[in-house]
Amino acid sequence: MHWVNWLIVVVYLAFVVGDGLRRSRGAKDIEAYFLANRSLPWWAVGLSVMATQLSAITLIGTTGQGATDGLKFVQFYFGLPIAMVILGVTIVPFLHGAKVFTAYEYLERRFDARTRTLTSLLFLFSRGMSCGVIISAPAVVLSAIFGWSLTWCVVLIGAPTVLYTVIGGVQAVTWADVKQMFVIVGAVLAMLYVLVTRMPVPIDDAFAIAGAAGRMQVFDFSFDLTNPYTFWSGIIGGTFLMLSYFGTDQSQVQRYLTAKSVDEARSSLLMSAYWKIPLQAMILLLGVMVFLYYTFQPTPLFFNPTHEQVMRASAPATYDSLAARYTIVTQARADAARAAVAARQSGDAAATTAALDAYRAQESEAGVVRTAALAEVGKVTGTSTRDVNYIIPRFVLDNLPLGFAGIFLAAVLAAAMSSIAAELNSLSTATVVDFYQRHYKREGSDAHFLSVSKWATAVWGVFACIVATYAATLGSLIEVVNRFGSFFYGSILGVFILAMIPRTRALGAFVGLIAGMATVGLISWQVPSIAFLWHNVTGAVTVVTVGLLLSMGPAPKSA
Amino acid sequence: MSIRVRQTFTRVVVIQVITLALLWLLQQRYAG
Repeated sequence: MHWVNWLIVVVYLAFVVGDGLRRSRGAKDIEAYFLANRSLPWWAVGLSVMATQLSAITLIGTTGQGATDGLKFVQFYFGLPIAMVILGVTIVPFLHGAKVFTAYEYLERRFDARTRTLTSLLFLFSRGMSCGVIISAPAVVLSAIFGWSLTWCVVLIGAPTVLYTVIGGVQAVTWADVKQMFVIVGAVLAMLYVLVTRMPVPIDDAFAIAGAAGRMQVFDFSFDLTNPYTFWSGIIGGTFLMLSYFGTDQSQVQRYLTAKSVDEARSSLLMSAYWKIPLQAMILLLGVMVFLYYTFQPTPLFFNPTHEQVMRASAPATYDSLAARYTIVTQARADAARAAVAARQSGDAAATTAALDAYRAQESEAGVVRTAALAEVGKVTGTSTRDVNYIIPRFVLDNLPLGFAGIFLAAVLAAAMSSIAAELNSLSTATVVDFYQRHYKREGSDAHFLSVSKWATAVWGVFACIVATYAATLGSLIEVVNRFGSFFYGSILGVFILAMIPRTRALGAFVGLIAGMATVGLISWQVPSIAFLWHNVTGAVTVVTVGLLLSMGPAPKSA
Repeated sequence: MSIRVRQTFTRVVVIQVITLALLWLLQQRYAG
């Protein structure tokens, strides 16, 4: 990578880490370290909430998804504004008013210690592993694109994050998130600008080409439980998922617990309600623009350089044949696209329809060749191959002007670091408050608990980096953990809903939680085709139903 | 809940309706 790009990355890292170290002054107890003494302004908390949700995979994976599947993924977020409004009037005032450190602490006050311990343990287990995945996913891509070792990429992402999170606590996390959101949005806007200026045809005609290739389809109103991206799964399943994520996941709850007041906490969540869908649409549109760029320019057969190396080494004849065929097909596709644009500009409707049909046929042919090429890589490597996550990084490196690779890498690091920092901070909070302080050492000096909190953050950071380094070999285990996460996400939401219903009891909450997880596990096992967004609905409804049934009748006499 | 927050909720609904309408128009124009 050119030294200018390196300079941009180094300046960005120095700025974020330096500011984190500067903000470490003043935290004398865990309330300051974990909650900034509940003093942060709504806009900083709101940007932190958005930065935490937006991980590096959003930046490289979702843009890639925009290039291959178009805009339809935006439906996934349709439930988010609804969830934010519901949380603003329900869980936010409950948790903020209760002056708790963790969401699970509130469950002990409302129910009992075992419900708190189980929910917190589930959070630690799933978030601890997912933190490793959040580091490993971009590290694997950067490693392949730049040719660096995986360990070095994990260190590049993990080490500065762990450093400023350990030393600066939530103050550093939040103010770094603010800066990181500006870096991410700035990078996306800059890339969009370059793509628009480099588009060889007017943007209106380019979008018509994208539409003919199915990339401008946003809404799918079919009620198909096996399709993860429909209007209904987004509105219903998405609402339950976002209620669970923003209402019960400590990595998000802790963001708005740092706000000055309940109103400020509400406003911070509503910032996502305003901006998440437009931001996500913009990120997907970036992918669509990259697709259009490659429609008119030579397109690599493989976006992952490793795939190319593997094929050249193991099956050179097959590679040469596929590459030659792909060059011919993509050239024909570019010619068809230009012909369609010309027909559109002539104003002849019949000619435009015919030209767009011809383009669609060429686009389909190009897709067939690429699918065949990826299948060949799969035969050689013995694993299923997709290269969606490599489209945008490869495009940036090969096609954008000097400095853009540095800006893009800084944005990927910003997206990864903002999510990792918030997760490490919340993992440490749950470990110290829900376990160490609750079950091991109730009394101690502020300095002692502060020191333990910093150590807990560091240990979780090292754990996440180790998981990230071995993520490739732990592949199936991580998949199991992710599936396990979807088993209990909706169920934990169900427990919080029960907590807000008067006269529900601890037994109902605990048994309901286990029943919810078991039901989702059973459905996932018996009917695996059901899209995961619906598991959140099933889990929450089961917990509330079982909890209410077990809470009926006279209350048991206390001893 | 303060009047400011209630007004904000209303704004969220209005902005979402506008956002979805714009996405719908985008789809109608180009994906037809």
